[in-house]
Amino acid sequence: MVVVRIPSLLADQAGGQGTFEVEAATVGEALQGLPVRDLLLDERGELRRLVNVYVDGEDARRAEGLETPVDAAGEIRVIAAVAGG
Amino acid sequence: MGVLLLVGTRKGLFLIRGDANRGSWGLEGPLLTGWSVFHAMQDSRDGSLYVAGNNFVYGGTVQRSSDLGRSWTRTEGLGLPEETGLKLEEVWHVEPGHESEPDTLWLGATPGALFRSDDKGESWEPVMGLVQHETRESWQPGAGGMCCHSIQVHPDDPKQMYAAISAAGAFRTDDGGETWVARNKDVAADFMPDPFPDVGQCVHKLLLHRERPDRLWQQNHCGVYRSDNRGDDWQRLERNGLPAGFGFPLALHPRDPDVAYVIPEEGAENRVTPNGRLGVYRTTDGGGSWELLQNGLPQQAWAAVMREGFASDESDPAGIFFGTQSGSVFASASEGDEWTEVAQQLPPILSVEVGEWS
Repeated sequence: MVVVRIPSLLADQAGGQGTFEVEAATVGEALQGLPVRDLLLDERGELRRLVNVYVDGEDARRAEGLETPVDAAGEIRVIAAVAGG
Repeated sequence: MGVLLLVGTRKGLFLIRGDANRGSWGLEGPLLTGWSVFHAMQDSRDGSLYVAGNNFVYGGTVQRSSDLGRSWTRTEGLGLPEETGLKLEEVWHVEPGHESEPDTLWLGATPGALFRSDDKGESWEPVMGLVQHETRESWQPGAGGMCCHSIQVHPDDPKQMYAAISAAGAFRTDDGGETWVARNKDVAADFMPDPFPDVGQCVHKLLLHRERPDRLWQQNHCGVYRSDNRGDDWQRLERNGLPAGFGFPLALHPRDPDVAYVIPEEGAENRVTPNGRLGVYRTTDGGGSWELLQNGLPQQAWAAVMREGFASDESDPAGIFFGTQSGSVFASASEGDEWTEVAQQLPPILSVEVGEWS
């Protein structure tokens, strides 16, 4: 099991829940296990451009992206990129 | 029964409840904070609220509420199939389906996409006849992206519909969306080498008159137009009293098909209300002439009203409502003769629609 924490705007879309424990071997599987998967991944299953995912503090994009293993991970954090107005 | 204004803003949805006389108003919200509400409407068939909401990080969604905004359900799985080579960018407009199809809704989106739902918005299927239209290569995005922003269903025949896309033009289907024909004859596209192409027109808003459904109106990038034959021919209208042909929003009288309202802007290069004041222009003769309505509106203003920011109700006399990018909502209970500011200092307003509450 891996812990996934999501921002408050996404928690609002998940009935107020901001922390999840999911069974997953990769970042992609962990995100697919969330009730806000459609807001993190587009219709091709790709990570949306301004969604950042950190596995124990390391940016998953700098690792293996959605294929980044999480079996030994303590925590996955989903963080929105600094953007917008 | 009171009037319910659904005001979509760049930062959430506001509801403004008016009494039956449309004389006192109360503001609620924001709801769906963090979401840009491009369009919100109440489906008169069951009272549900629908929102086309976008977030710059998390994409476009449709949200539905069956309890006037206290709780919301989000559509999942919205997107375009891989074979199109397109991805959904933003959702723009939700339109109720025909009365005979109570579970059907239509959704307009970028890039030039139309979706259909037959389960009250739980799931959506792309309308491939329009998404993969033979003229698509000639379409180009306007400043707001290649948005499908206008969807109109013929009140007597669910198979007859219209959709408008910026900048692709107006399209009509007579078979429920299987096939679409461009209907842009004599509609100008001054920004193109050929100013009267078959497609590529920048329609800003297209509406059908429910009492005379063969009559369509459009506010275009290049003028105000009316068609009396289902879009087969268009007549340009703005030369008798309108200060400019450029503008975004359009509203129609609920009963009289000769009455329409526009809020022009100076032009494509200076998108503010003309002459430094806010004015609504009304025609009562099918666009033959236009009169300025400004009683109660600010006399010094450089405002702008977005394409979804103008609406009318079904009352008699009709109520007319609009919201500005500077966050004010104006209401008229007298078909535009007198105006009252019923909300101010809201976030930039993207849409105004009328519903009801009790």
